[in-house]
Amino acid sequence: MGEDAHRLVTDDEPNHVGLAVGLVIGLPMIGFGVVEILRHTDATPLPNYLEFFVGGDIAHDALIAPIAALVAYCVLRRVPAVGRGPLRAFLFGAVIVIAIAWPGIRMYGRMRAPDNATVQPLDYATATLTVVGVVGVIAIMWFIGALLAARRPRDRSQGFPSSDP
Amino acid sequence: VSEAVDSVHNEGVAARLGLALGITFTICFLTGLYSHFAQHPSWGFQLPSRPAGLYRVTQGVHVVTGLASIPLLFAKLWSVYPRLFRWPPVTSVAHAIERIAIFPLVAGAIFMVFTGLANINLWYPWRFNFPDTHFRTAWIVMGALAIHIGAKISTTRAAFRRTAAPRAVVTERRQFLATAFGMSALVALFTAGQTLRPLARLALLAPRRPDVGPQGFPVNATAKETGVIALARSPSYRFTVDGKVERTMAFTLAELRALPQHSATLPITCVEGWSTNQRWTGVRVRDLLNMGGAARHARARVQSFQPYGSYTVSELDNWQTHDPDTLLALQVNGEDLALDHGYPLRLIAPNRPGVMQTKWVKTLTVL
Repeated sequence: MGEDAHRLVTDDEPNHVGLAVGLVIGLPMIGFGVVEILRHTDATPLPNYLEFFVGGDIAHDALIAPIAALVAYCVLRRVPAVGRGPLRAFLFGAVIVIAIAWPGIRMYGRMRAPDNATVQPLDYATATLTVVGVVGVIAIMWFIGALLAARRPRDRSQGFPSSDP
Repeated sequence: VSEAVDSVHNEGVAARLGLALGITFTICFLTGLYSHFAQHPSWGFQLPSRPAGLYRVTQGVHVVTGLASIPLLFAKLWSVYPRLFRWPPVTSVAHAIERIAIFPLVAGAIFMVFTGLANINLWYPWRFNFPDTHFRTAWIVMGALAIHIGAKISTTRAAFRRTAAPRAVVTERRQFLATAFGMSALVALFTAGQTLRPLARLALLAPRRPDVGPQGFPVNATAKETGVIALARSPSYRFTVDGKVERTMAFTLAELRALPQHSATLPITCVEGWSTNQRWTGVRVRDLLNMGGAARHARARVQSFQPYGSYTVSELDNWQTHDPDTLLALQVNGEDLALDHGYPLRLIAPNRPGVMQTKWVKTLTVL
């Protein structure tokens, strides 16, 4: 049981019945999408489409995830357990907020519609810093709470067993 | 420490994030389908005119849910990242099929959230048509998701069973899940204000504010951008009702203002997710059809005098045409329409995407 809980994500043999049902439902849907794209290459030029379809996956697997792994290895590993969760939350949250706000920060929409003052009407650099600040405050409060909890004497023994995830 | 840091690469974590993403992607798919058929009626679909705010809700949910999926998606990909390097990569035919289906799922999911995010910001760094390509790729992603769910059903069930683990490991996993779900909630909180008025001041990550624009609300295409300024101000402006009518009619602006006026509070809802309720005043479309002697179940086409740009024409089905709140509006909130909002005349009807609320109207053709 304990072994189960420690198990990393593994390549278990798929559920054969589930896979068959999934294929019956999923293949026609995939087929519809693919055929529609191939039938309308005027609306969806294939090379450009594949550039973005495959490019996003490659960018994640070859760039974003390795950088995250590097940060986890170089930074999180060295941080005491009590601060690891809040620090990870802050780093993850800040990156997500900046990624979502990026088109606003760069004003891509306003560049396309310079006469339309209702597109991206805010100062998105300040707005992004504000939201990152909120994430930071939450992380600090979490850290303080975790620190206080760690100093409190435990009335239960450390550790085994506890429930997954 | 190492064990705890690595502990998020775990089936329990992946299963919980996967379940959440399954729900958010299904919501996005269904609301996206509704939006697609609202704009391109086919397969017998006819857009109902009631409830008046239905499209506002579905499209608002579509965009906010899509944005809230971003932290969940990247947390899920992180939790399963080590699988990419497992050796041997496949162990059976069934396993190979399952692994192959992961590629369109992951690549498609990243594609969908990226293109959706870029589109709401009017940012198009690609050459393909966004609505068509987003719609077609959604089918690929949902098909791949169906295969993935089927293949992983046993693994997921097992992962949800409560098992034992060292406290530090469990804590680390819970913290990771709390981070992913918490960020998802925060993203929703800081973007939903573009459609939920009480949260408007918190819409710091949203590309629009529902209270910013001429006459207090946003516009998508401006009069300058679409080249209508001179035409809209022309004293020779005439609005025409033609097509399947007993008599073709033409109205000057003064004649339109002299017709019986009706007011209705209706939302204007952009496909990019922002929306706002406004009080519109104008002539009922059904009154114009009655004046022209159109058939009882007539449909209509509304044509703009906009010389170029997309969405210069839209159609009203039977329900929309005869809804008492379907107006050719001359005013909003008691003022003449601003040029950017469609002066001198625009269509406003219940439960319609904003791109189909045709501005700068020239002709109503009865079908």
